Amino acid sequence: MASTSRGDSLPKVQCPNHPDAILVEDYRAGDMICPECGLVVGDRVIDVGSEWRTFTNEKATKDPSRVGDTQNPLLNGGDLTTMISKGTGAASFDEFGNSKYQNRRTMSSSDRAMLNAFKEITTMADRINLPRNIIDRTNNLFKQVYEQKSLKGRSNDAIASACLYIACRQEGVPRTFKEICAVSRISKKEIGRCFKLILKALETSVDLITTGDFMSRFCSNLGLPKQVQMAATYIARKAVELDLVPGRSPISVAAAAIYMASQASAEKKTQKEIGDIAGVADVTIRQSYRLIYPRAADLFPPDFKFDTPVDKLPQL
Amino acid sequence: MEQNNSLPPFPQGLASPQGAMTPGLPIFSPMMPYGTGLTPQPVQNTNSLSLLEEQQRHGMVGGSGQTPQLYHSQVSTTTALPGNTPLYNTPLTPMTPVTPATPASESSGIVPQLQNIVSTVNLGCKLDLKTIALRARNAEYNPKRFAAVIMRIREPRTTALIFSSGKMVCTGAKSEEQSRLAARKYARVVQKLGFPAKFLDFKIQNMVGSCDVKFPIRLEGLVLTHQQFSSYEPELFPGLIYRMIKPRIVLLIFVSGKVVLTGAKVRGEIYEAFENIYPILKGFRKTT
Repeated sequence: MASTSRGDSLPKVQCPNHPDAILVEDYRAGDMICPECGLVVGDRVIDVGSEWRTFTNEKATKDPSRVGDTQNPLLNGGDLTTMISKGTGAASFDEFGNSKYQNRRTMSSSDRAMLNAFKEITTMADRINLPRNIIDRTNNLFKQVYEQKSLKGRSNDAIASACLYIACRQEGVPRTFKEICAVSRISKKEIGRCFKLILKALETSVDLITTGDFMSRFCSNLGLPKQVQMAATYIARKAVELDLVPGRSPISVAAAAIYMASQASAEKKTQKEIGDIAGVADVTIRQSYRLIYPRAADLFPPDFKFDTPVDKLPQL
Repeated sequence: MEQNNSLPPFPQGLASPQGAMTPGLPIFSPMMPYGTGLTPQPVQNTNSLSLLEEQQRHGMVGGSGQTPQLYHSQVSTTTALPGNTPLYNTPLTPMTPVTPATPASESSGIVPQLQNIVSTVNLGCKLDLKTIALRARNAEYNPKRFAAVIMRIREPRTTALIFSSGKMVCTGAKSEEQSRLAARKYARVVQKLGFPAKFLDFKIQNMVGSCDVKFPIRLEGLVLTHQQFSSYEPELFPGLIYRMIKPRIVLLIFVSGKVVLTGAKVRGEIYEAFENIYPILKGFRKTT
């Protein structure tokens, strides 16, 4: 077992047979394992994963292997605080019955707002069932913005909502502003403002939204089968390619395409239903639909099974 | 050479501009250099505003540093026709970097029209807004909503916000001269009501212009190539917001080809910004 420290600031651990191999950390056992030969190079590494659970038959009120909450080094700036728990026994209470050592509260006061925001982000993301990777990305973005302090005056919730929006966009699964508004108490205007400010502060940019990004979500919320969803995606893409809807928001075009595809299939959805799901007014769907209706025959995919033929599509 | 002095004589302490070319020079003088290669010259330009810009540049680059805003708006002479060829000076820094347009390309031949000018002036004395609101015509004053008197005049059609400190904001004029004239009219109204109003520090704060490039534009392409300047969020606003660094102008570019330019302190900035953006927009013309 070799732990060669080369006099760098960090002692580098490497396998003696394969010095170039990158060691794999197995945190369950606290080992560093060489992937080439399987040699356990460094053991007794501190396990920073979540606390282990002991399953004992005895009363489980006191679990002696508790070591505290998971360490979140990326986001907390090394929070190694000590918390004093409530005492047991008579000696821990002073007169009047109050407990001595009341210090249960202050932990990392400098990052209290950040922790609060993380909690808020997790709550918001849970409401729309966002996966862990988006939440992590949001937390990272929030941390960067918070440390930069350029948006210090803005409400933390607004920044958190905007970070959530940016994270969804960056992961390739954009959510509309209205969807983020639905899970946040901040107005769309304020989220939009914070969004632009954050992009400027972090000097990043995001890709433009396309109609296809929302198809699967809207169609499954409406309960439309896969063929209709694929047809709607095709219609929307074709409509944008043929430039039938210049200047229209991609959400409105997507909604109109879903309307056309659903009306041509067996599951017909009304404009109101689609408008509710997409967050688009039904007059907007009507406007975009009027623009794509004249070329309807060209927009459908070639292998589409029409329940209602193209000339019988509703015309409004 | 006629100086259209519709204004009462104002402190003429500041002399005529240094440099050979004075603003009063008639447009069709043979002394005007036609093409110098500094900026692309229009072959035929009915307004000949860029020509004027050229000669000013020549006149200015020789000696003057940055001439102040106020001075230019004072000395510039205009005919009363809005939107036509009012003579103006472009205050320029001594080392004016040449506009990035290649000399070989033609200029657009399109001139942005000014739509709105916002200016401020200090009347120099404290005002009692209540008496102004009661005695003046076309004045509204609702202190619970906003702490200023909102006064309107019909010619030039403008609106003024008059504050109790004596400062006034004048909006809605279509040219610099009209803005100044309107501000003077408001000052005269206030003066007639008995306040010792003066006309100090007239300054144009913002100018808005608009024009049409007459072809549809691919905004998605533009935002891809000019990411650091553009912001295009169809969910938030249907137009692309282009923040040009030099000159510092914000342009709203729409799919239809209409362009709105704002944030200028002088007319030349609007023209310069449009000349800068026009070749870029031509590159993103929709082909169908």
